[in-house]
Amino acid sequence: MTATRQPTDDSARYDIPAHASADDPRVLLEEQIGVYEPVPPFPPRTEREAEFYTVGDGEMLINIGPHHPSTHGVMRIVMKIDGEKVVDLDPVLGYLHRGVEKICENADFHQTITHLDPLEYVSSLFCEWPAVMAYEKLLDVEVPRRAEYIRVLSGELNRISSHALAIGFHALDLGGLTPILYSFIERDEIVEMLAALTGQRMLFNYFRIGGVNGDLNHEFMSRLGDWMSRATTEINANLGLLNENEIFVRRNRGLGTIDTETALRMCWTGPNLRATGLPFDLRRAHPYSVYPELDFDIPTRAEGDSLARYLLRVDEIKQSLRIIDQCLQQMPDGPVMAKLPRLLRPRPGRAWAGIEGPRGEYGVYAVSDGTDQPFRFRIHDPSFLHLQSFNLLIPGNLMADWMAVNASLDPIMGGVDK
Amino acid sequence: MDRRLKRRLESRFADRLAGPIRQRHDETELRIGPGDVPDVMRALHDEPELRFEILADLAGVDTGHAMQVVYHLWAPTTPDWLRVIADGLSRDDPRVPSITFLWKGAEWLEREAYDMFGIIFEGNRDLRRIFMPPDYTSFPLRKDFFLPDDAARSPGAGVRQMERTHVPRDAPATGHIRRTPAG
Repeated sequence: MTATRQPTDDSARYDIPAHASADDPRVLLEEQIGVYEPVPPFPPRTEREAEFYTVGDGEMLINIGPHHPSTHGVMRIVMKIDGEKVVDLDPVLGYLHRGVEKICENADFHQTITHLDPLEYVSSLFCEWPAVMAYEKLLDVEVPRRAEYIRVLSGELNRISSHALAIGFHALDLGGLTPILYSFIERDEIVEMLAALTGQRMLFNYFRIGGVNGDLNHEFMSRLGDWMSRATTEINANLGLLNENEIFVRRNRGLGTIDTETALRMCWTGPNLRATGLPFDLRRAHPYSVYPELDFDIPTRAEGDSLARYLLRVDEIKQSLRIIDQCLQQMPDGPVMAKLPRLLRPRPGRAWAGIEGPRGEYGVYAVSDGTDQPFRFRIHDPSFLHLQSFNLLIPGNLMADWMAVNASLDPIMGGVDK
Repeated sequence: MDRRLKRRLESRFADRLAGPIRQRHDETELRIGPGDVPDVMRALHDEPELRFEILADLAGVDTGHAMQVVYHLWAPTTPDWLRVIADGLSRDDPRVPSITFLWKGAEWLEREAYDMFGIIFEGNRDLRRIFMPPDYTSFPLRKDFFLPDDAARSPGAGVRQMERTHVPRDAPATGHIRRTPAG
């Protein structure tokens, strides 16, 4: 294609004689490296692929990733650029595909939960949650209220840590190194207290079908109380780094704008959808667990740009702190697990459960055929659908703005690639 | 369970139903033939008394006899999830019309279902593999695609591979070991 190597004047710099023959090892090396062409070595399979890989005058294709740190995982983006401006792009997924759905269909109901944690590894509890909810529907199990409260409590903590990380990485991708360090301080506090509760720092494996793995313990409660007493102050202080940072604000304002109508057509959910002005939050739109008993607001922003998505996450952290406060006050006594046999064989049937995670709607569609393994296990991940909108958000902007948009959407490739 | 939704759907789609409308917990299930997908989805999306504006999920399912495409929808008009099952796609040549004309975002979901099950979504402009490499030839979530350690699959036996009976070292190599559990 047009990405051909320009003749360079390197012969002088590298002390290669201008008339070196092909036998010269240095010359051979030069020849062999060549330019990597992102064009696939097969004819285009679809209309869209043909359109994308037809390069016009002055345009060229480049690869970003798969190991680029701004991809938040392992993703390759083939970008068609005209100078510094992005014309079109084609995300290439699958570098982290592990076939979790297939593995879960070959594991029994308890085992599947373990495989779900590494999906969105910064919000593991939200990956387990819809699965246990779907199984509880299949089994007609009533979850003890204390277990539900513990789920909400730990889930909201997880949400805060996930948002803190998203905000920090948003700044990092724009070149600000400091905010991520403060984000990690907050996140580390939460991760340590969840480790005290669940026994694991990241892949908690805490929710069980019919409840949670263990009751609240002293270390968790003392860490939580300690942190809650200063969380609001600290988070506000940290956000001052970004909210008043002119570079951050001006680079994000008006970037990657999307309206509600388009966002719905692109199947967006979660904070990214709420940043367009629609207060759609499954905790209210389709109440589950004990959220109907808790008092919190659904923050929205009207602008629908990168800055709005960032600010919305900030607002959500504050609401999560409110929820945690109420959970601690209203926490009932009682068991944390329903009484269930070790070997589960739900009657044949189908169940869908969707929850509001830190990135949007996480869902699981589980089909039982009467055995101890799910017959079909479908995982729905919100980041997958947010990534898809790159083609709407990025073309027309500069290449470097891709990172700002990507970070504001906050995709986690572990969940996207399943 | 939203009984009103059930009655509404029964009267609206009486001639399209491929099975009874089932309700359980907070889910309502509508079963239609693959050819009816565009009309039914458009009605569900557009009509003011239905207004299913959010496509929560699109999943392929291989029942072993036929393929299904399962859509989950959310609407402000009902407290239920709506599950629409496009049932009875042939396993040899599963085809169903695309719904990208309603939800552009279904494009990748359909690509995923194509990648995993080989279901052809007619009208999707970008139907190519998404997770598996482009030169891959099989469809991994089909029921006739076995994992290398799929000897572990013993329906109903409840015994996992690692807990299985000890296989003597001099046992003949069968490749696909299937043994009944001890006892």
